[in-house]
Amino acid sequence: MTRKIEIYPLNRVEGDLEISVELEDDVVIDARSAGTMYRGFENLMVGRAPLDGLVITPRICGICSTAHLYAAASALDMLFNVDVPRQATWIRSITAMAEMLQNDLRHAFLLFMSDFTDPAYQKEPLYADMVKRYAPIEGSSVRQTIDATRGILEIISILGGQWPHSSFMVPGGVVSMPSNNELNRCAYLLNNFKQWYERQVLGCNLERWHAVQTKADLVAWLKESEAHFNSDLGFYIRFATKTGLHRIGKGHGNFISFGMPGLAAKPETAAKAGQILLTAGGFYADNQLWPMEQENITEDVSHAWFAGTDTSQHPYHGQSSPYATGSEDLRYSWAKAPRYKAIPAETGPLSEMVISSSPLFSDFMQVDGPSAFLRELARLVRAASIIPAVEGCIENAMSTPGRYYTSHGELENQQGHGLIEAPRGGLGHWVNIKDDKILSYQIITPTAWNASPRDAEGIRGPMEEALIGTRVKNPENPLEIHHVVRSFDPCLVCTVHAIDLR
Amino acid sequence: MKKTLFWLQCGGCGGDTWSMFNIESPNLAELFKSLDIEILWHPTLSVKSGADQRQLVADVLSGQQPLDFLCIEGAIIRGPRGTGLYDLVNGKPKKDLVAALARQAQYVIAVGTCASFGGFGTDSEIEATGMQFLKWEKGGFVGESFQSKSGQPVINLPGCPCHYDIIGGTLSLVVSGTPLKLTEHHSPAEWYNIMVHQGCTRNEYHEYRVEDKAFGEKGCMFFHLGCRGPLAHGPCNKLLWHRRSSKTRVGVPCFGCTRPDFPQPYPFFETRNIEGIPMELPEGINRAHYMAYKGMAAAAAPRRLKTRKTGI
Repeated sequence: MTRKIEIYPLNRVEGDLEISVELEDDVVIDARSAGTMYRGFENLMVGRAPLDGLVITPRICGICSTAHLYAAASALDMLFNVDVPRQATWIRSITAMAEMLQNDLRHAFLLFMSDFTDPAYQKEPLYADMVKRYAPIEGSSVRQTIDATRGILEIISILGGQWPHSSFMVPGGVVSMPSNNELNRCAYLLNNFKQWYERQVLGCNLERWHAVQTKADLVAWLKESEAHFNSDLGFYIRFATKTGLHRIGKGHGNFISFGMPGLAAKPETAAKAGQILLTAGGFYADNQLWPMEQENITEDVSHAWFAGTDTSQHPYHGQSSPYATGSEDLRYSWAKAPRYKAIPAETGPLSEMVISSSPLFSDFMQVDGPSAFLRELARLVRAASIIPAVEGCIENAMSTPGRYYTSHGELENQQGHGLIEAPRGGLGHWVNIKDDKILSYQIITPTAWNASPRDAEGIRGPMEEALIGTRVKNPENPLEIHHVVRSFDPCLVCTVHAIDLR
Repeated sequence: MKKTLFWLQCGGCGGDTWSMFNIESPNLAELFKSLDIEILWHPTLSVKSGADQRQLVADVLSGQQPLDFLCIEGAIIRGPRGTGLYDLVNGKPKKDLVAALARQAQYVIAVGTCASFGGFGTDSEIEATGMQFLKWEKGGFVGESFQSKSGQPVINLPGCPCHYDIIGGTLSLVVSGTPLKLTEHHSPAEWYNIMVHQGCTRNEYHEYRVEDKAFGEKGCMFFHLGCRGPLAHGPCNKLLWHRRSSKTRVGVPCFGCTRPDFPQPYPFFETRNIEGIPMELPEGINRAHYMAYKGMAAAAAPRRLKTRKTGI
């Protein structure tokens, strides 16, 4: 028996996302992911002054605006051919990573875990504890996360003036000139966050956590102490394996990450090397790792509501001409389909772990392969690697006096791109300039990779593929679908709706 | 008595919601609890299943479920050609849901500049508009004569994003029964009767017309770098962000994000000028008097400012 479930709009993701899946005997045999809102940001940029990208593009996303600012500033660094002083690289990196810490923990405890508070789980022995911890707004861990993430964002307000939507990065560096007093405040705020993260989320200090390098280590770690067992991480591992999250959401097994190019380009700026994840980024397919080369990225519009050819284009040549037809069979999304060498790839914390060859995640990939469980685990523990990196950048900025900005002078290039690691994965901005004005501005967001529709070859996007094979217990309330979709932290806003085709 | 709130995101980025998470003393959780506001629906906070959510919307629309606050975040998308097909929910234009919910609410609050005035995309293919204003012009999506059930027009809380204290403060005042005094653009005077310029730590530089032309300096950014602080209404430099700082304090010009014409069509980071004199002067000022005053002020500027020795 075949039936179709449509989930729209799915809540607790940023922006508008609709998922439809086809079930055969309660197992997903096909899936479609559709972006249902078109805001036309790329076209708003055409004809504007090059620096306007610094003001307009952060407003694409309310939870990762600093990432967009970083990508926009990096593209401008290239257009103006200006060298960014290392102090500025540290400030850019500190703020981008602070935003990442905020996003990872808010996603995990505000957006992801609340699915487990659904009454469908009330027979689980841990259910009462789950509700106590993760009920929306009221939950004990939720309340702590709201306070802790607000604290880490104070760093961005000190260094960048406000969060979200500041424009303190400019070609040639940053406009702010933080004093050591202000950097000290950042260090205190980071330390507060670290203490909370160690106590509440991990149940151990970062050093102990980094000694967990295999799946077997993780099992041993969980049983080692009550603090580990009852931490948010310990609780997640117990509940998620009990409910089978490790058995769903596999996907293609292809990964892409853009890394932290600012730190990678100048190894001397990378404080505490080795603890900073991924610096150069990469592409991983067929169990092999390749360097990331932006020339290999294309966008395909064959299944998206955009006019034009069905061939794929590099973002320097891509256009966004919306073509609203309502619902039509072939075209079903406002999201284009990004591909790397014509291959779909997922991006986000798990990609970062795989591409940076994290021992724990490499072991999991060998033993179990990717899953919804592993994807969210990566998001929960990434902070253990980010925190030391931010510490290092703050120390460097304090001990190395120097300029934060180099005059950017005149435009020297007509093409520029900025590729960085945003909280949800690889983010790229590609800009063409003509007569000192923006001729085209193409943006590929992490969610564009993950929630991509099919391409001209009919190959599904990563999230679509990850849904295949998922067994749905109750099609009226398809929680398994929610878990898989949310494990990608999609940045698109959504509710659930089921249509019975029988 | 318990109040109810329904939050709908339209053409926007979610930035006002994430700004709202910065609320402190009390924090977000304590605020809703102390005001006894029940969140019927919020896209980020709700766990309702699809069927429950559809039932909730039906109950609100039939009047069975009373609705006190309807908060709209993001612009109303009407494109292409008035159809609203660029923003769909349930396969139908989301704008139709907005119109139906607005008729049921005691108070309609437009959170952020896009919901208030249209913001991004007012001149583009998406045909964005604010709830009751399209830029400077009254009307917008629900029309000039619209009043919510309490008899109020749509309450505008502009800003990109809206400062979190304004969101918490507005809900608190309404719940406490304090009549809201609104400005001509329907924003609470409590927060929008001051300029962003007020409280900027670069004010002394502005006073003596010690102006910067390049980034990364301490001077005033009004004459050359496109700062809209004296032209934009808002409490950025009074409330600060995270109680710490503001864009203008760290050296980012104000982009006028609370203004009905945000985003401006001309370049950011540049002050439009005629022979070095800004075309737009601080709001409400006499041009001749201002120029005479600025000429004298520049001449009187102390050395510590001219040499940027004064901290900011």
